[in-house]
Parts: sequence; structure tokens; C-alpha cells
Amino acid sequence: MTNPVQVPTNVLIVGVGGQGVIMVSKVLATLCQNHGYAVKQSEVHGMAKRGGAVFSHVRFGPQVWSPTIPEGEADVLVALEWAEGLRWLSFLKPDTGTFIADCQRIVPPFACRNRGRGAEASYAPQTPEEIIQQVHAGYAMDATTMATNLGNLRAANTVLLGALSTALDFAVDDWLATIPQFVPPASIDINLAAFAAGREWALAGEKRVDANAEGPHVSYTEIRHAQVDTVVEIVEERCKGCDICVKLCPERCLRLNDSLVAELVLPDLCTGCHMCEWLCPDFAISVTNTPVPEPA
Amino acid sequence: MKDVDVLDDFDIEDYIRQDQMPHFLCPGCGHGIALRALMWAIHDLAIPKDKLAVVSGIGCSGRLSGYVDASTFHTTHGRPLAFATGLALARPDLHVIVISGDGDCLAIGGNHMIHSCRRNLNMTCMMLNNEIYGMTGGQVSPTTSSDRFTTTTPAGNTEPVFDACALAAAAGASFVGREVTLQILALRELLRDAIANDGFSFVEVISDCTEIYGRKNDLGASPEMMMSQKSSMRPFAYRNTVDVPFRPTGLKTGVLAKTDRPEYGKAYRAMTEKLRGKKGRG
Amino acid sequence: MSQRINLQGNHACALGAIRAGCRFFAGYPITPSSEVAESMARELPKVGGTFIQMEDEIASMAAVIGASMGGMKSMTATSGPGFSLKQENLGYACGAEIPCVIVNVMRGGPSTGMPTRPSQGDIMQARWGTHGDHPIIVLAPASAAEAFSETSRAVELSEQLRVPVVVLLDEAIGHLVETVDLDAIPETPEVWRKWAEGPKQDYEPYAVTDDMVPPMSRPGDGYRTHTTGLTHAPNGFPTQNPAIAEAALTRTTTKLDLHRERYESWRVRQCDDADLLIVAIGISARAAQAAVDDLRADGVKAGLFRPVTLWPFPEEALREVVASSGAKTVLVPEMNQGQLVLEVERVLKGSAGTVGLGRIDGEAITPDQIAGKAREILG
Repeated sequence: MTNPVQVPTNVLIVGVGGQGVIMVSKVLATLCQNHGYAVKQSEVHGMAKRGGAVFSHVRFGPQVWSPTIPEGEADVLVALEWAEGLRWLSFLKPDTGTFIADCQRIVPPFACRNRGRGAEASYAPQTPEEIIQQVHAGYAMDATTMATNLGNLRAANTVLLGALSTALDFAVDDWLATIPQFVPPASIDINLAAFAAGREWALAGEKRVDANAEGPHVSYTEIRHAQVDTVVEIVEERCKGCDICVKLCPERCLRLNDSLVAELVLPDLCTGCHMCEWLCPDFAISVTNTPVPEPA
Repeated sequence: MKDVDVLDDFDIEDYIRQDQMPHFLCPGCGHGIALRALMWAIHDLAIPKDKLAVVSGIGCSGRLSGYVDASTFHTTHGRPLAFATGLALARPDLHVIVISGDGDCLAIGGNHMIHSCRRNLNMTCMMLNNEIYGMTGGQVSPTTSSDRFTTTTPAGNTEPVFDACALAAAAGASFVGREVTLQILALRELLRDAIANDGFSFVEVISDCTEIYGRKNDLGASPEMMMSQKSSMRPFAYRNTVDVPFRPTGLKTGVLAKTDRPEYGKAYRAMTEKLRGKKGRG
Repeated sequence: MSQRINLQGNHACALGAIRAGCRFFAGYPITPSSEVAESMARELPKVGGTFIQMEDEIASMAAVIGASMGGMKSMTATSGPGFSLKQENLGYACGAEIPCVIVNVMRGGPSTGMPTRPSQGDIMQARWGTHGDHPIIVLAPASAAEAFSETSRAVELSEQLRVPVVVLLDEAIGHLVETVDLDAIPETPEVWRKWAEGPKQDYEPYAVTDDMVPPMSRPGDGYRTHTTGLTHAPNGFPTQNPAIAEAALTRTTTKLDLHRERYESWRVRQCDDADLLIVAIGISARAAQAAVDDLRADGVKAGLFRPVTLWPFPEEALREVVASSGAKTVLVPEMNQGQLVLEVERVLKGSAGTVGLGRIDGEAITPDQIAGKAREILG
């Protein structure tokens, strides 16, 4: 690792809202400050709500000018959520960087690019093994399950903090003294245990993938509509060609035809949302969604 | 087959007179959307069509009653609330809905409107506000926004406007609300609460007159008008005061007033029964 | 045992309506008809009826029609300025054939005129007040007892023929206190319009029936019909088809021609040998009766023809009386500048000389005035 006395050390912590990205960066920044370093901590609170993307840049050293880490300059990338980690992977130093990630998945709303009913959410297809092979040092760990086993899945960020401690030159006791300042008093013990578990797991080797990396995230609830067949019927005699359905359809799958009558021209895009039916002032449109039986 | 996965089993076809369709409204007229929301609310409340009476006045809004499969009364200009008062007093078993327009309700029928609010007889008035007299060709109405062009304000409207909801609340309506047609689900909910209210409910629906008002004032077609109506409104959930009168835009939507006042019909019948009881004893 | 009590004409109107089953009254204060409303406000709650004082004359007429459409016998009362305001919705009731009764206690006009002074200036307005061709029945009582019985009859006729009926009183009759026998007429709460029957798909709210009076539906009976002031087809929905429109308008006027016997009413007195026939209504007819007696005492053969049903005018009856008596002159005394005389002239078409006598100074016409005019004509 780079000597922090000469150039800043860069730690990038990413995840989704609610996981504790900010807590991890605060612990690190405080620790650095206590050791006399100049510290810059700059963060984005994602969409300012649970589920939105969040990242935090922590830079420390004898002198730090810029608050953000340039691409390819992160010494450590800590990802509290797998896909967020992959999204920031290009920020890691190619030759010397350490990638520490919880391999559990939280599928964000915007992963549902296809709004059709029954559509699968798209998610990063890469397996933890592939990724860990590509980096200098890497840990794909099941921090969430580890924290859950310790009694509180919300301590997953502290498990990762434990792994992070192996990549930085601070004494274990310093870490243990700092963590309690940033967690609720009732969960201090569990967080210290989580830290120890993460540290122990990472010390076992420079590249490790948890055996249960593909396991489902305990807090992830699948949001998936039953597959339906949507039929949009347009009564030509009633349509007056006012354009309301055409312009207000969220998928823009209707058009006015040559006789200025509304027509469903892109049925594949239609999600069966009923908007055209509800806003048709002439009661010319009816949308019927029939569930497709699940294969036995 | 009806939808099984969405919201409910409402089908507009069950509530309109299909032999009268297509209706006579211009392309893109928001009144049709308001009518759907109204019928939806009726469906939500499980009001049987035989217990539903729809009374309307004159103008584009007045013609809507003819498309509802219920007992419908297309009355005279500005007077539907007065007709409905007689009907509701004579038949407390009915759900009486009045469909009116901005000219019908606030100009020629203004007196009936404020006194209906004051009396608090159980009925719901849905006033469709499109800021214009559409059927007569586009004359200025009491809600036409400032500087807008109409056939009787060729240089732009210089008259101030009515805030119908502020007026209704001040006059004592026990439920007052406003919504735009684009927000049809919110409108449906508003109308549902209005009809369920035991007393006089006033709901102003911001509707669009694309063919006349929109064209004359370069407001775009229906989708554009509906979007701009929505963006100019300020959603405003349950609260008991109306504090922004006389503003052409930036009106509040949602429930604007809700008060617990005695329903007039019940009060009158209680008095009648008291009188008859006395007569029996004496 | 008969119940004979002293009643004001206006109060008698209210009691007569209730006797025929009227259970809804909407009104607005106006002299000299306010006593009708006051009486109704007192009496209706006792019989489970509904009284409401509306915000204006227009609204009270509308509420009365609304209540009738809901299936209640209903009535309103007013005077000249209010009658003018009611014309709008009265036209609706004529067009949509909604039964209702309007009491108009005439006062001096035009405009606010002379509110507490008698007049008969609304004779033509009662017939032609609202715009467009329309059917209407107008009854003109000449005593408190008749105000009682004619208002009762007005309720019945409006029900049976589905037509608005105007009870035209003058201030003098409205405020006249006379003995009224409350049992002189039967109670008729069972007289109703014909209600719709049979399957919904066969029912047309304005169908052409034999008697030209279609059965009426009301909310809650399952027919879910449409009622409109627009010219409508038999199915109740607006039409601009010339043939259908003509047929619809023709039926509403023909229906009154078909039922003349049911509503026509007039009184004749000493007409058999009359050389001079006086035609008058209301308080003028009472003065004319005294004038007839006065003239007869002088040896002048005078007689009185008094239409009780003023509109449609009992024209056959008048022609017959003139023909059988051989009267050469007809005198029409009235408290206006000559309205009833126009109808009499139209009916007689020159078969007898017609002379009008008007009084417009706010005083009731007197027997002397009428007898004097008769003597002047006869030379």
C-alpha cells in the first residue's frame, strides 16, 4: 500500500441508502484524524432515501487538496452492495487496489428497465469469482449473513469495516475504540463482534470468495408482478382523436392512425397500466389484463 | 373477462347509457374524464343505479346527465341545485348528484350555489370548471383567467375570477375539494369522500376546453392543457381553511374544507316529527 | 258534520292543496301571496309534508318541479314579479310534463307595481308567460270557498294530465275572508299521475298513448329515465329530428284538447234570456253579479258567464250561451287594460258585439261601474 506520508490514501465506500455507508466512512475519517492526517470526506446521499445509491470518498494523508478520488486511484473500494461495487470498480487502482464487497444483492428499482408485467429485473451478471480474479486483492464476503448470524443484519457494514482494517495500517485497538462513537449504545457489542468477524475472515487470504456468495439476500423482497396478457381494445366509433392517450401513455405505445383514431402500435411496450383507459374522455379504450397461469 | 389484478372491477360501460354513445363532447374535452371519475366513485360506494339521481343544468356540463344510466334530470340554466333541493327533500332515500359548470354554477346559478352550501342538504355538486362558456361558442365566464381571450373579451379578460372552493367553504358547504382531471385516481377518491359526506359537498373539477378555450389562447391540445393544469395546482391534503382566494393559477387541490354541520333534511324531518308527536299528545 | 270555518282565500288555497295530497311546498315571500306559504309552513309538517323557503322565486319553482319529479305532489305560490321569475322553470314543467301547481295572487303591475292592490293583469301572462308553445291550465276562483276547492282540483288535474296548473287569484280574493266548508270536497290523496308499469325495455317516458298522457317514472322504480327541457323524442332523449319534434310538441298540446271535459268549468247566471252578457272572472265576476242584479231590477236582461277554468278558455260553452240566449252584446269587465276581452272577441268572432271595461287604478272594479257601462252601451 502507498505510504500515506507522501500521497493521500484513497478509500471509496459505496452501497445503497440505509446500509450504513456513511457510518463506515465516518469511522475511518475519525480514525485518520486521530492519527494526525488531513482528511477529506465527501459523500452523496444517493436519492436521499432508502434504496438509492450512496457513495463516500475518504482521502487522508499529510496534505489532501481534492475531496474526490479520481478514477483508477482508489486504494480500497468497500462495497456494501455487490452491483454498486461493480459500478465503481473502475475507480480501483488496477495493480494495487483492494476490493472488499458484500456479495448480497439489493436490486434497485431502476434495475427494472423493462416495465412490462412479469419482466425480470436486470442485474450485474458477473459472478464474484470472476471479479475477484480480476483485482489485485479482493474479498467477496457474505457480510449480511455473517451479521445476521451475530444477531443483527444491520451490522453488515461493520463486518466490512473489519475486512477494511486489514488493508490499512491502523492498530486494531484504535478501530475498536472508534466504532462505539458511531453506533447506538445497545448495539456496540454486536458491532465489535462483527468487526472482529470481518477482520478474521479477511486475514485468511488475499483473495477470498464466500462459499454462499450466491445466496439470496435476507432483506431483499422480490417485487415481481404476475405475468399477464394485456388486451387494449379501442372502439373506433367512439374515438375522436384527441391525442390524450397517445401523449399521456407512459410507454408511448399508442399512435393516431391515418383516420385520426388511436391505435396500439407498440403492443410489446404496453404494461397494461390503464392510463389510456382512465384518461380517455370518450370511453373508447378498455384495457384488460388476464393473468398467465404459472407453469406448474 | 374483467381485470382480476387491478384495483377493482369497475367498468364504465356498466354506468353509462351505451345507446347514447358516442357522447357529444368535443375531442379532448375533460368532462368525459370527470364523468368516469364520478361513476367510479359511485361504484366504489356501491350505490345502486336505481338509487342514483343525477341533476344537471345547461351547457356542456349539463349534457353529461344524459349519459349516466340512472334517473337523470337535465334542467334549466343555473338551476340544477334548486331542482335537486326539491328532489333531495322529497326523496331522502336517493343519492343526489348535481353536475354543473362554471357558468351554470357560479354565474347564473350563483345564488343557488351559495344557498345550497349554507343549507347543507345532503347532495354532491360536481362543478366542471373549464373557464369558458363552451356550448355558446366561448364567452368569458366567472372563472376565466386574467388576460385570456374569449369571444366577449377580444382584448383579453380584465375581470377578476371567482375561487369557487373558497366561496363554497365560506358559504358553509360541509365538504369542499378540488382536483384536476389528469389526477383521475385522486379525483375519484375526492368524489367518493364528497358523496359519502352527509351534507352538501362541493367538488370543483379543473377540466379542459381544448377546442375553444385552448385554441383561442394557444394553450396546446388536451394533453398539454391537462399537464399544465396539474403543474399549476398545489396539492393540498386535508385542511380546514382556504387561504388563497382570487388566484387564477396556483389553486390548491385536494380536500379544502370539511366541517361537521347538521344535515338540513335530517334537521327538518326531526322538527316535523317533534311537531307531529306534540300533536298526538295534545 | 261539515267543518265550516272562516278562511282567507290564501289560506284556503293551502288547505285545498293539502286535501288533494300536496305534500311539498317551496316558496318565497311576496305580497299578497305570502299567507299561502305561511299556511303551508304551518300545516305541511303536521301531515308529514315538507315546506321550504328557497333563496328566490326561481329556485322555489325549481324545487317544486324537483320534488314532483321525485314523486311528490307539490305546489308554490307567488305574485306578479315572482310569477315572472317562475316562468323560466314553469316552461320546463310544461315541456317535460311535470305535474305541479302555481298559485299566482295577482297584484298591480307592471314590475313592482302596486303590491297590496288588486289587479287582474296577469291573465295573458298566465297563459303565455313562458316562451314557446306550451300546454297549461289556469283556474280562476272567485271566492275563498272556490280557492279551496279549485286548488284541490288544480292538484288533481296537474296529476291526471301531467301539466302545470296555475291558480289565478286576485289580491281581493286572496285576502278575502269567507266561510269555507272544508268537507265540501272529498279528500283525494289517491289521485295520482299514472305511474310507469311493465318491463323497462318496453317503457318510453313520452310514448304516444290513447289519452296522450304518458305514464311517468320516478327515481328508484327501476326505469332510470332521462328528463330534459330540450325537445325530446318518446324515449326522453333530445332530438332535432323535425318529424319527431313536431309530433312531440303536437302531443303535448293535443292532450289538453282531448281532455276538455275533465278540466273545463264555468258558471252561468241568468243567461237564458240575456240580451247583455257579462263575461268576468275573480273579483270582477262578483261585482258583475251585483251589476246583473241591479240591471235586472231596471228591466235590463243581463246575464253573467264566469269561466272558472280560464285557460284553455271554455270557448264552446261561451259560444253556446251566446247563441242560445241571443245576446247581442258582450261586456267584459276586468282589472287591466283589456286582456280577457281579446279572448272573448276571438271566441265569438263577431257573433256578438264585444265591449271591454278596464280598471287599472289599484281599486276593485265596482257593480256601479259595470252597470253604468252596460247602460251606456245599451243606450
